[in-house]
Amino acid sequence: MNTIDVDRSLCDNHGQCAIAAPAVFRMNAEGILEYEATVEDALLDEVEEAIDVCPVQAIFLKN
Amino acid sequence: MSTPTINVPDVPYLDISDPSFAMQSEALRSAREQSWYARTNFGLAVLRYDEVSKLLKSPQLIQGSAKWPAHNGVHGGLFYDWWTKNLLVLEGEDHHRIRRLLNPAFSPRLIKELVPRFQELANELVDAFIEAGECEFVRDFAEPYATRVLTILLGIPESEWPKIARLASTVGLALGVTFKQDLDKVEAAVAELYEYAEELIKDRQADPGEDFVSRLVLANRDGDRLSDEELRNALVLLIFGGMDTTRNQLGLAMQSFMRNPEQWELLARRPDLGGKAVEEVMRTNPTVTWVTREAVEDFTYQGLFIEKGTTVHLFTQSSGTDPRAFPDPGMDLLGEHAPHYGFGGGVHHCLGHFVARADMSEALPLLARRLADPHLAGGDEWLPDSGNTGPVRLPIAFTKRA
Ligand code: HEM
Ligand code: HEM
Ligand code: SF4
Repeated sequence: MNTIDVDRSLCDNHGQCAIAAPAVFRMNAEGILEYEATVEDALLDEVEEAIDVCPVQAIFLKN
Repeated sequence: MSTPTINVPDVPYLDISDPSFAMQSEALRSAREQSWYARTNFGLAVLRYDEVSKLLKSPQLIQGSAKWPAHNGVHGGLFYDWWTKNLLVLEGEDHHRIRRLLNPAFSPRLIKELVPRFQELANELVDAFIEAGECEFVRDFAEPYATRVLTILLGIPESEWPKIARLASTVGLALGVTFKQDLDKVEAAVAELYEYAEELIKDRQADPGEDFVSRLVLANRDGDRLSDEELRNALVLLIFGGMDTTRNQLGLAMQSFMRNPEQWELLARRPDLGGKAVEEVMRTNPTVTWVTREAVEDFTYQGLFIEKGTTVHLFTQSSGTDPRAFPDPGMDLLGEHAPHYGFGGGVHHCLGHFVARADMSEALPLLARRLADPHLAGGDEWLPDSGNTGPVRLPIAFTKRA
């Protein structure tokens, strides 16, 4: 299983991850990030892209 | 644009179109102490860190700049068509779709590969003036560096840089107060940039490589790709959005360090602080002095009723030096500070920030290592503080260090 960890002390809720990988990350009505803690392999490309685009590089993936 | 709808008597008022309006002024600091926002002659201004941070990402605010041409009485033409269809002003899924297709080319891993070229370029530019002990920093460094970085990224021959710089600056006139008078020049420059972009696209489509534009041409997400028109619009946006900003920010960086010579010495000794130097300059002396948003619906924020259509200016320098978030707001390369909003934030967060951060964090320590004691030599000229600021001319003198 692939585990996603967002470092909340870094995350600034820009929501770029939710644009890159909407199946995994979304912004709630208050503009705060919510995300799936585990993802299937099929979504890994999307997740890699979210990791790349995060302006503060707060997203980490463990396989 | 909208007329101010708020009329609260004890809220500060700022005339942001007064040419002498200054961001780094006592008037602004005392306004920030008085209230988290100010009224202006064009909507609201948000002055404090927490409020700027929250409103920048608020789903109730969208890009306010879509209406800029119309606000200036421009309702058609090449510039208008380009502006109203580019990433910066698109919203919702239209925006996100383009952003997803552009993102992979801007991967920080790919940009790292360009760093040696940035260093080579910076050294070449410094070599040309180091013996003289003086230079015009904008003309001799900031402008050629910012422009040639873009030509390196886009794979345009570097010798073309003066032309690209001129075209981008001409399009930039569209953001100034004389937009309407400059319209013919702006239209001609957009047409010329279109030609450049179209040629680049054709070239890479015929013979794609590993370079940046090839990656854009080949970009594909779940079978979706950018049309030729979308590609062209995006390339012109990168030229337009990446050049003057970087040039101005480098000029402002030099100003910041001339005001804080001990920080310059520190950077000369510790080139590993290049990244921190960029963040500290952009927090305390950003070129983009405000980001513009517009309310898509009526809403209330911190007790303030904001009517649909209200223009909201999110002030960057003011928020980046707000004592509530930065008890010691001065520039300090060794300090630990909250992130600044000099690259905007939220869905429109600067797409090119990894490029800008990578090139400036190479340039600044390299300059510090080679130029000791830079100081003003007289004759500097500056853009006004509204919108995008920075030096137009910055003559400096220094002692050669290396
Ligand atoms: C120091 C240099 C730079 C600064 C200060 C800067 C600043 C900004 C800011 C503040 C925004 C957000 C505007 C808004 O929300 O209204 C933005 C957006 C943008 N920037 Fe930059 N920028 C810089 C360099 C670059 C570079 C080098 C590129 C391209 C290679 C670039 C491309 C873009 C694009 C495409 C957008 C629109 C993003 C969107 O709307 O989704 N910028 N920039
Ligand atoms: C609806 C959106 C916008 C509004 C209401 C607005 C408002 C203003 C105002 C009030 C000024 C002061 C000068 C004047 O007009 O008297 C100004 C100047 C400026 N704005 Fe905007 N702005 C908007 C969008 C933008 C955008 C998107 C940019 C660039 C990305 C921008 C860049 C500038 C620049 C560079 C100046 C300085 C121009 C000069 O003084 O020569 N503006 N804007
Ligand atoms: S892109 Fe980064 S900062 Fe933005 S919401 Fe996602 S994790 Fe947080």
